[in-house]
Order: sequence, then C-alpha cells, then structure tokens
Amino acid sequence: MIMESTILENLKATFQGNQVQKEAFKMLSEVGLPHKKSEAYKFTPITSLLEKNVSFEMSGESAVDATKLYKEEGSHLVFINGELSKEQSRISDKLNVETGEVTEGKHDPFSLLNTAYAKEEIRLTSGYDAPVFIYHFNTNGISNPRIKVKVENGHTFRIIEKLITPTNTHTFTNSYIEFSVGQNAFGYHTKVQNYNAETFSHETVVASVSRDSHFYNNTFSFEGAVVRNNLTINLEGENCEGHMYGLFLLDKKSHVDNNTSVDHMKPNSYSNELYKGILDEKSTGVFNGKIYVRQDAQKTNAFQSNNNILLSEDATLHTKPQLEIWADDVKCSHGCTSGQLDEDAIFYLRARGINEKNAKAMILNAFALETMEHVKVESVRNEIQSLIDKKLT
Amino acid sequence: MISIKNLQASIEDKEILKGIDLEVKAGEVHAIMGPNGSGKSTLASVLAGREDYAVTGGSVTFNNEDLLELSPEERAQKGIFLAFQYPVEIPGVSTTNFLKTALNQVREARGEKALDAVNFLKMMKEKMKLVDIDQALLSRSLNEGFSGGEKKRNEIFQMAMLEPTLSILDETDSGLDIDALKIVADGVNKLKTEKTATIVVTHYQRLLDYIVPDYVHVLYKGRIVKSGDKSLALELEEKGYDWIKEEVAAV
Repeated sequence: MIMESTILENLKATFQGNQVQKEAFKMLSEVGLPHKKSEAYKFTPITSLLEKNVSFEMSGESAVDATKLYKEEGSHLVFINGELSKEQSRISDKLNVETGEVTEGKHDPFSLLNTAYAKEEIRLTSGYDAPVFIYHFNTNGISNPRIKVKVENGHTFRIIEKLITPTNTHTFTNSYIEFSVGQNAFGYHTKVQNYNAETFSHETVVASVSRDSHFYNNTFSFEGAVVRNNLTINLEGENCEGHMYGLFLLDKKSHVDNNTSVDHMKPNSYSNELYKGILDEKSTGVFNGKIYVRQDAQKTNAFQSNNNILLSEDATLHTKPQLEIWADDVKCSHGCTSGQLDEDAIFYLRARGINEKNAKAMILNAFALETMEHVKVESVRNEIQSLIDKKLT
Repeated sequence: MISIKNLQASIEDKEILKGIDLEVKAGEVHAIMGPNGSGKSTLASVLAGREDYAVTGGSVTFNNEDLLELSPEERAQKGIFLAFQYPVEIPGVSTTNFLKTALNQVREARGEKALDAVNFLKMMKEKMKLVDIDQALLSRSLNEGFSGGEKKRNEIFQMAMLEPTLSILDETDSGLDIDALKIVADGVNKLKTEKTATIVVTHYQRLLDYIVPDYVHVLYKGRIVKSGDKSLALELEEKGYDWIKEEVAAV
C-alpha cells in the first residue's frame, strides 16, 4: 500500500529538500495520498482524478496576465508556480515579507505533499493596514505555494487570495496557507475560486486563533475541475471567534468540496459557519462541517448551517455535519437544507410583473448574497457580485 | 373588462372548477363567497396564471385578449393583480428593491419610462400612507417575519404601487383583526376608480361591510350556484351556507 500512488512515484525522482521536507516526504511515503476508501475524500477521489488528468512535473516559468490583478491599494503579491515573483509583485515597503526555507506544517497528506515539495515559504507579518492580495499563477503541472501569515497582537490583517490557471493544459495547485492570529487581533481571509474545467486544486487553510481574536474565512467557488478546500480553524484561546462563510455556485461539470473544521479548545469561544450551494447542470458540491468542542471549552457557542439549491436533476450534493462535543455547557446548532427553487416564491414575483428569468435570479442572488457579509474590499465584492450575476443570468 | 366563460380547471387530475361564468365590468366590485373547498382560491390562482392548475376547458378574455395564453408576468403587466391569501416570504429580497424591479418591468411593458430612484421613492411615500405601512418594514426582507396584518397591508401597498385595472383579493380579510381589516379595506376603496374593477374572494361577510360589492356570487363545488346583490352576503352571514348546499342538492 505504501507509495501506491503514481503521483508520488513520479515525484520521488525529483525530490530535494531540507530536513523538515525530508521528514514530510518520509511521512507522506508512509501514509500515501488518499485512496478510494479514505473517508475524508469519499466524494472527491482526488488522487485518482489527478493521476488520470495531470502531468506530474513541477511547473516551470510562465507569463503573468497583469489584468487579473485587482485595482486596489495595498500590496499585490504575484506567485508564479509556487514562487513569489518580486518583479511582478507590487509590495509596499511597509509590508513585512520574508522568503525562507520550508518549516513545519500540518500532517495530512496534501499538507505533507506541500511541505515536501514547496520551493520556498513566504512569511507575511501584519503591521500594515491595507489589504494584501495574493495571486497564484500556475501554468502547468503541479505547484505548491506555501505561505505563513502572522497577525500580531491587536492588529487587523486582510488577505485576499486567488489562483489563475490556463485553459489549454491541466494544472494541479496544492496550496498551503497558515495563519497565526495573536491576541485581540483580527484576521480576514477571502478566496475567489473562478477557475476552469482544466483546473485541479487542493487548498489548505489553517488558522490558529489566540484569546480575544477573530478569524474570518470567506470562500467563493464558481468553477473548477476538482477543487478541494480544507479549512481548519483552531480556537486556541478564550473568548475567540472563528467565522466560515462559503458559496459554491457551480455549473458544467465543476466539482467543489468544502471540508471545514473548527476546534474549540478553551471556554467562551464562538464559531459561526454558513455555506451555501447553488448547483446547476452536472456539477457536484460537497460540504463537510466539523465542530469539535473539547472538554475545557465550556460556554462554547457554535453554529453551522449549509443550505443548497439544486437547479438541475443531474447536479449532485453531499452534505455532512459532524459534531463532537466533550464539554457539557455548550450551545451548538447545525442544520442543512437542500431543495429546488421555491416555486411559490417565483410565482409571487411573476405575479407582480417580473419575468421568470429575473425572478429566479432575484431569489438566487438574495440566497447567495448572505455569504458576502464579511467581504469588505470593494473591488473583491464587485468581482464576486459580478461572477454571481454572470452565473445567474 | 374580464369575461369568464365555462371555465374548468383541475389540479393533479382532480377537477376543481367545473364551469365558471362571470362577467366583470370596469367600475364594479364583485364578491365571490362560498364554503371552504368550493374553489374560490383556485379561481383566483387560475386568473393570475398559477401553473399548478391545468385549465381543461372554457375561456377567459381580459380586455379582449385571451388571458389564458399569457404568462403570469404578462397578466400582471397588463393590469391584473392578485393579492395573495398567503403572501410568500422571500429572504434577502427587500420589498423596496423587489417593487422597484416589478414596477419598472410593468412600466416598460406598458410603454412607460422607468422611474428613477427619486421618483420611485416619492411614489412610495405617497402610497405608504394609503395603507399606513412603515418605511422600516419595506426595507426588510419581503414578508419575512411580518405579522399577518403586515403581510396583507403589504399586498395592498403593492397593489397601490402597481396600479392594476383588475384586482383580485384572495381572502385578504382572513386572520385580520378589525383595525387591520379597516385599514386594508380603506386602502382598497381609495384605489377604486371608474376604470378599475375588483374581485373580492372571501369566506366571511365582514369584509363586505367595508368593501361594498355590486354583485355577490356563491361558489359551491366548482360552480357559481347563486348570484345577487350585497343583500345575498347578509343572508349568507345570517343563515350560513347550508341552505345553499340544500338548494343545490335539491336540483
């Protein structure tokens, strides 16, 4: 069973890395990439799909389409195939950016893959008020961008991340971003995933949140061959908050899997999760939301909801809440709904003179919009709104 | 204005309307009464174009046009308004936004220019007074968490905004206390002109004290079994529906 995947076999030849990477490589060789029976990847057999579709070479040089960059103040960091391109980036003097050797990361297979093969590790530290925009350009083969973000005590730090891939070749991006949020600090992370039918990605986001701090993740997915989001929030201190908002608005054969988890470790923490799915044509959406409340974490408030609308008979949805509660004084709720568009609501709008197409768009738009509450950067909001509009009309 | 001839309709193969004849002219108010399950709401829904019902026979012409050929939105654009028995809650869509879209689509269909934000707001302020509805309510999600009375007032407010020629009020009075009922009826009366007509569908006579009908029809088992003037409504209030049922049974 070890090294069963041809991906690892292929990559093995090119392996070179520091001690941390060697260890990650060894661990990965032992556990292997998720196979058909891996529970966590039950609905997204990513390994076999990658084997079939993606060439396992590390990506080389590529050109950057500067029009993809947001016209916003702030720092714009351009990564090309996993490496920060200082020439293509526009980085404020006030932003602390370090390029360094790969250090320890999470131990699940794709995180290990990233650790082993990342070409460098970029470290960002807060202390700069404007948002930081991160663009990953992946032109061919596999890339492993790796970023660590530190939000210092009392700071607010906003990161917006997106991936841009070509349409003429299959690519696989295995990204890893780690947030460490200090005390009384705010970290915001927004992702826009508007890829194409050739894009495969596995995107790991992990946040450690200290006392009195908040972390927000907003993930908006519109298209991709296979997109897997692994979001983990560890609420490590008292009185901290984790917020997870997501929208997957899919059509064609797009497949998006949101695997999220929040771990309440200390008393008086709060988490709120809201994921919404709109699935059309032959798309597939997966949502898995895990809430873990440890024995120490009394007075935890944890809320989760996943609501979905299926617009086509060929669309597929899998949704699964998972609650593991070890403390006895907690308030926890979860709920998921899935169904078709509400015909009564459509008729109501039509009976007021709004045509069917607009009536549907109006209802779906309102449904989707709720997930945008915490996206504050205007051009990002506008982009998401226009992607929603485009999909719905 | 509207001419209904031998209208038959069914839902899931169950025949509900078994041949309705009704003629409504501009300036008139018609009340349609009848016991529960007689087909009153079905008639209202069929006229508004609800697709759950299959029209299996008969015809409806509205201002010389075949109404049954039109989509619900086309009917609304041509001047038909249904005040819903159970107004639908639509989360995330504010009444204001929704009405602006609706009004401008209706105006566009009628060959009128779209209203800009300023004029729309002006019009809204004017019509709000009619039904004593609050601005705060209108900026909330459409009907979401509204009380029964607020929902019904919102229906009449929408009616005021869209200025229909034929309004169909489907059990607008049910679940309203007397104060709310008066406000709603008052709104309807103020909107009445020589050029408009109203069909009031109701189970209770009470509403007809405030919206006085020119004609009263009794619907029973999918047919209009009796027509008369407003005194018929009073008779029904006094005697209930049993004598009608007996009369029908005797035929």
